[in-house]
Amino acid sequence: MKVIVPVKRVIDYNVKVRVKADGSGVDLTNVKMSMNPFDEIAVEEAIRLREAEKVTEVIAVSIGVKQNQETLRTALAMGADRAILVIASEDVHQDIEPLTVAKLLKEIATEEAANLVLCGKQAIDNDMNATGQMLSALLGWSQATFASELNIEAKNAVVTREVDGGLQSIKVSLPSVITVDLRLNQPRYASLPNIMKAKRKQLDEKVPSDYGVDLTARLSIINTREPETRKAGVKVASVDELLVKLKEEAGVI
Amino acid sequence: MIKPVSNIIEAKLRECLPESVFRELTNSYLEEPRGRHFGIEGLLLTPDNTNDVARIVRICSEHNIGIVPYGGGTGLVGGQIMPDGPKPVILSLERMNMVRDVWLSENIMIAEAGVILKDIQDLADSSERIFPLSLASEGSARIGGNLATNAGGVNVVRYGNTRDLCLGIEAVLPDGRIFNGLSRLRKDNTGYDLNNLFIGSEGTLGIITAASLKLFPKPKNEASAFFVVKDPRAAIELFSLCRDRLGTDLSAFELISCVGLQFLKEVGPDVILPFSYEPQWMVLLDVGCHQGTLSQEVLEVLFEDAYDRDLVMDGVISQSIQQRDDFWKVRESIPEANHRTGAISSSDLSVPIGMIPEFISRAEQRLSEIGEFRINCFGHVGDGNIHYNVFPLPGESRSDRDHDRKKVKKILYDIVSNMDGSFSAEHGIGRLKTNELSLYSDPTKLALMKSIKGALDPKGIMNPGVILKIE
Ligand SMILES: Cc1cc2nc3c(=O)[nH]c(=O)nc-3n(C[C@H](O)[C@H](O)[C@H](O)COP(=O)(O)OP(=O)(O)OC[C@H]3O[C@@H](n4cnc5c(N)ncnc54)[C@H](O)[C@@H]3O)c2cc1C
Repeated sequence: MKVIVPVKRVIDYNVKVRVKADGSGVDLTNVKMSMNPFDEIAVEEAIRLREAEKVTEVIAVSIGVKQNQETLRTALAMGADRAILVIASEDVHQDIEPLTVAKLLKEIATEEAANLVLCGKQAIDNDMNATGQMLSALLGWSQATFASELNIEAKNAVVTREVDGGLQSIKVSLPSVITVDLRLNQPRYASLPNIMKAKRKQLDEKVPSDYGVDLTARLSIINTREPETRKAGVKVASVDELLVKLKEEAGVI
Repeated sequence: MIKPVSNIIEAKLRECLPESVFRELTNSYLEEPRGRHFGIEGLLLTPDNTNDVARIVRICSEHNIGIVPYGGGTGLVGGQIMPDGPKPVILSLERMNMVRDVWLSENIMIAEAGVILKDIQDLADSSERIFPLSLASEGSARIGGNLATNAGGVNVVRYGNTRDLCLGIEAVLPDGRIFNGLSRLRKDNTGYDLNNLFIGSEGTLGIITAASLKLFPKPKNEASAFFVVKDPRAAIELFSLCRDRLGTDLSAFELISCVGLQFLKEVGPDVILPFSYEPQWMVLLDVGCHQGTLSQEVLEVLFEDAYDRDLVMDGVISQSIQQRDDFWKVRESIPEANHRTGAISSSDLSVPIGMIPEFISRAEQRLSEIGEFRINCFGHVGDGNIHYNVFPLPGESRSDRDHDRKKVKKILYDIVSNMDGSFSAEHGIGRLKTNELSLYSDPTKLALMKSIKGALDPKGIMNPGVILKIE
C-alpha cells in the first residue's frame, strides 16, 4: 500500500507575522518558511506505518513554488521515499486554494494507485481546514478528520478523533483520507545522513497542466488586517479599587 | 575595619534618599542559584539613579560600611551574598532599569545596570539587531551583573565575552565619585583602559551603573544541528574544520556528553531528546549567515565533509524555529538536570582548545584512581571552556561523597594548572574560589591585584571578601 502525504510550505510558526501595507495579505519577503507543523505530524505517521510494514511507500507531495523543494527535502530527510513537486506559482504570496490542491492531489493519488492519504488537519497560514475533506469527496474515499491515534488494519483504519468534550473512535474502510491532529505523534528530526541520502532520492517536478487542472481562483481576498492590539493592563492595589474601576471605567458592573 | 550598618546609619541614609530606595529584604536576596550558601541579612537599598547610588556609597565610605552589589542574583560563585561579617548594605540595581539611548546607525545601546539581559536582547531584536550575550540565566541576570562577572555564555565563539561587547561604563567609585566612561567611541587610546578594570571585578572596585553596549546586525538566517562525534578529539577536529569552512558564521559550538542526556531522562526537565539513542558525545552547533547563504545548507555541506573525514557519525538539523529552540532547550536544561541530580563538585575550567581531549582523558583517569563517579563534562568547547561536574553513583547521595569533594577539586585544578589553563573560566572568583586564586595564581599577578584594590578601595568596603580574601 502506498501513502501520499501532502506537505505545505508555510510561514514559520514562530515568525511574527506582518501584514502587507496594502492589506492584500501577509508579507513573506525574506521570511523564514517551514513545513506546516500538522504536515510534519502526517509525514512522521506515514514513516511509522512504513517502519511497521503497514505501508510500502511514502510519497511526499507539495504544491506551490519552486522553493517547496526544501520542504520536500525535509520530508525526505525524515524518511519519505520519494517526492513530487507541482509548481503552481512563481510568487510565494500566491496561495493555491483548497479545491485546486484537492483536485491535483486526486490526480496524483489516482496515478500512483495510492490507498491512503495522510494530511495535516489544516495549514497554519490560512487555517482553511478543507483540503482533506474535499479530496475525500473528489476521490469518493472515506474520510477521518482530526486523528489523534491511528491503527491501520487489513481493510480498515481505526481512528481516534479529538472532538468537543472527549475522544471518538471510528472505523473507516480503506482507501481513505485521514487528516491528523497535534497529539498524534512527536515528529522526528531531519537526520543529516538522511539528508545526504535524500539528495539521491527521486524528486519529480510537475506542473498543473500535467494533471489537467485549471488554477483559476474562485476565492478572492478582500482584505487582510492585523488583530486589534490589546491595551496594556493596569495594576490595582485593592479589591475596592478594582470594583471602582470595573464600575466607572469599564462600565461592566 | 568594616562596621555593621546600624540604625543611626540607616537614619542618615533616609535623610538624603527617597523612601522608595528602602525596600523590605526578602530571602531571595540571600540565596544563590545552587541553594548551597546563604547570605546574612543586610540593609536592602534599591536606588533608581546614579546620583542616589553615589550618595549611598559616600555615606557607607564615611562610616566604613560594607556594600554587596546585587544584580539578578544568578552568579554562581557567591559574589552577591555575604555569608558572614558585619551587617552590610545590599545595593540592588533592580530599579536602575532604563535604556538611556539607542544609536541604531552606530549599533550602540546605552543601558543602565539593572536592565535584565533578556530585555536588552529583545529590544535589540525589535530593531533587527542582536545583543549576542546569551546564557541560560538571561531571564533574571542583569547587565550590570553580566559586566561585573564578565559573563561568557554560548556565543563567545563568535562575539566574545561581555567585555568584548562593551564600549564603556559608568561606575560609582568606592569613595562615591562617579566615573563616566560611557563612550560611543570604537577607538580611544588615551591612557589606561579603566572600563576593563571594572568589567570582571565582581563589585570589588565600584558599582557599575550603566554601560554602552555593542549591537550587531542580526544574521539573516540561522540554524542549529546536533552532530554525533566519536570522542572529544573528533569534536575538536570538527571545531577546527568549522573554523576553516564557516569562519565567523559559527555562533556556538557546545559539547554534550551522554551523562547529561541520561540525567535529563532520569530527573528532567522534560525535553525532546534529538536521537532515539544516547550518543556518547555530541556537539550542538549554531550557524547564522548573512545575505545569500543558507545556514541549513552550510550545515549540510559541513556534515558531509566531516562525515567523509570520519569525524561525525550521525546528526540532526533544525528545520524550523521551533526545532532550533527545542535543540537549545536540551543544552540549556543540562545545568538544571545537574542541579536536580546533585553534584559532588562542579567546576568551570578552561584549557587551550587543543588540549581539551587530553584534559578530559587525564581527569577521568586520575579520578578513577580515587573512586567511582558519574562525570558530566559539557560546555563551551569552542572557547576551550568545559563545565566539569562530578556526581555520586546512582543510589548514593551527594552527602555520602562529601569527603571526596576536596580531592576531586585538587585533582582537576592541578591538571588544569599543569596545562596553563584556568580553574574559573567564566563564572569568576566570588567568595567561593578565593583560596584557589591565591593558590594557583602567579604571585606578581596577585600583588598587582592587591595594589589596585588598595588604590581604589583603601577601606575595603566594596564587596568585602570577594576575589581577594579579607586580611
Ligand atoms: C542557570 C545558569 C546558567 C549560567 N550560565 C552561565 C554561562 O553560560 N556563562 C557565564 O559566564 N555565566 C553563567 N552563569 C552565571 C553568570 O555569572 C550570571 O548569570 C550573571 O552574569 C550574573 O548576573 P547577575 O545580574 O545575576 O549578577 P549577581 O549574581 O547579582 O552578581 C554577580 C556578581 O556581580 C556583582 N554585581 C552585580 N551587579 C553589579 C553592579 N551593577 N556593579 C558591580 N558589581 C555588581 C555582585 O556583587 C556579584 O559579585 C549562569 C548562571 C545560572 C544560574
